[in-house]
Amino acid sequence: MEETQTILLVDDESAITDNLAPFLERSGFEVSVAADGEQALKMIAELKPDVLVLDVLMPRLDGREVLRRLRSEGNWIPILLLTQVGEAGERAMALEEGADDYLNKPFDPHELVARIRAVLRRARPGKPPLAAAWQVRCGELSLDRRSRRVFLEGEELTLTPKAVALLEYLMTHPDELVSRDRLLDVVWGWDYPVGTRAVDTRVAELRRTLGDDATDPRYIETIPGQGYRFAPDVEGLE
Amino acid sequence: MIVRWLPILAPALLGLILAAWYNQSDLANPTFVLRAQMSALIALSGIGLSVLAGVGLILADWVERRHIRTLLEAAEERRRFLSRLDHELKNPLTAIFAGLANLTADVPVDERRASTASIETQMKRLRSLVSDLRKLADLETRQLERAPVDVSELLRDNFELLQERLAPESRQINLSIPQAPWPLPQISGDRDLLFLAVHNLLDNALKFTGKDDTIELRAYEDGSNVIIEVADTGPGIPQAEQDFVWNELYRGEGARGVSGSGLGLALVRSIVQRHGGKVSLRSRPGQGTVFALQLPASDVTRR
Repeated sequence: MEETQTILLVDDESAITDNLAPFLERSGFEVSVAADGEQALKMIAELKPDVLVLDVLMPRLDGREVLRRLRSEGNWIPILLLTQVGEAGERAMALEEGADDYLNKPFDPHELVARIRAVLRRARPGKPPLAAAWQVRCGELSLDRRSRRVFLEGEELTLTPKAVALLEYLMTHPDELVSRDRLLDVVWGWDYPVGTRAVDTRVAELRRTLGDDATDPRYIETIPGQGYRFAPDVEGLE
Repeated sequence: MIVRWLPILAPALLGLILAAWYNQSDLANPTFVLRAQMSALIALSGIGLSVLAGVGLILADWVERRHIRTLLEAAEERRRFLSRLDHELKNPLTAIFAGLANLTADVPVDERRASTASIETQMKRLRSLVSDLRKLADLETRQLERAPVDVSELLRDNFELLQERLAPESRQINLSIPQAPWPLPQISGDRDLLFLAVHNLLDNALKFTGKDDTIELRAYEDGSNVIIEVADTGPGIPQAEQDFVWNELYRGEGARGVSGSGLGLALVRSIVQRHGGKVSLRSRPGQGTVFALQLPASDVTRR
């Protein structure tokens, strides 16, 4: 029997933690709660949780600063950031600072559990996550996340900013079924009534530029009725 | 008020005094005629300066008053927005209160289930309101993606989506996109946002039409703009409401009880304005409404 995995839930809004903690426990996790960043850092050192669910806006020490401190100490504990603002800037920041994944408030608690499981599955204990790599590569395709440039077989590709963001999310979550709604949430930050079409349009743009055949894909695989999955062999370069 | 106007008369007064003094200084002088002309010139210059200053002051006053009126209107609109927001939040919250009261009471299981379902519906309503509010706020600040957008394709995609959503023969829907002598020019902008704008207009047209009505999606160009129109044979919008329907959370008489966040048209306006365009509408009560989006074309000059 596998050991129960532990979550440290950090949010200053007790209305949220009071309701989320029992839900996460019922989903099979052991849950501890911290109300701000300082308390979180202390509890991480003591409890060594398997995963951190971290709110961004908090008094004293905010989530972004907690993330920065942990990563600069070389602590690669999987972190799921709860953002409140849907702005692209904030999401890009979450990536740059090495959060493993993020969720926009308000979210469905089932989605949170799904994200936590995915993050835990991807985690390589003691090693930085792909989400913290400045460059990700899959075969002949590489993405420089700082300069937002994409190269295929050494040639630079011309892509719209949204297509780059989409590719970035897919590449940092390899071999994982990512739903259209999920992509919409993280890349667009909006829930559109017509959003899944917008995702399909961008994926088609990506495939065209990458020369990827939808029926025999090298990079992006369509899972009919569910979403997309990126090829498994992605490596991160520091 | 009078005090503000007095200094303006100063140049005129000064001119007149100088002119008089100049004129009377030496009447015996042979160049009397020239002197008279000079003094007249001085007097006129003074009066001219006064008139100029007066006009300037009137203009400044007018600009200031217009500015104050804009500020007052903005404050008034803000107040109305807050009261509408208060109203939009009250109803779902009241429903949730009632639902929760049912849940904690000693009631049969199916009733509990009904309450839970109703609470969930209200939560979703609140969530979509929050999400649309965030979109509006986001639109003010987010950097707009600027890529060539094929309007014809965008309209066709939107039309297809409309066809998929409609039960067959429930409404007559038409799509008209010019092909001759040239196709519609492209727009430079964010395709997803523009798609959303057209989608919201079609969504509205669907909400306000019934079985035998007609909805038309059409576009044309006027040399420098692309104009996209969504027309319907719905009930139309009363004249008095036409200026307000674009406002956040505004609901006209005919829109009470119709589902939606009340932010759909406000989003359309915001998206179009961010693209440097304009929105307008023509409506005749009892006949229908035409919503028009005018967007600057990006490649007309190159044709």
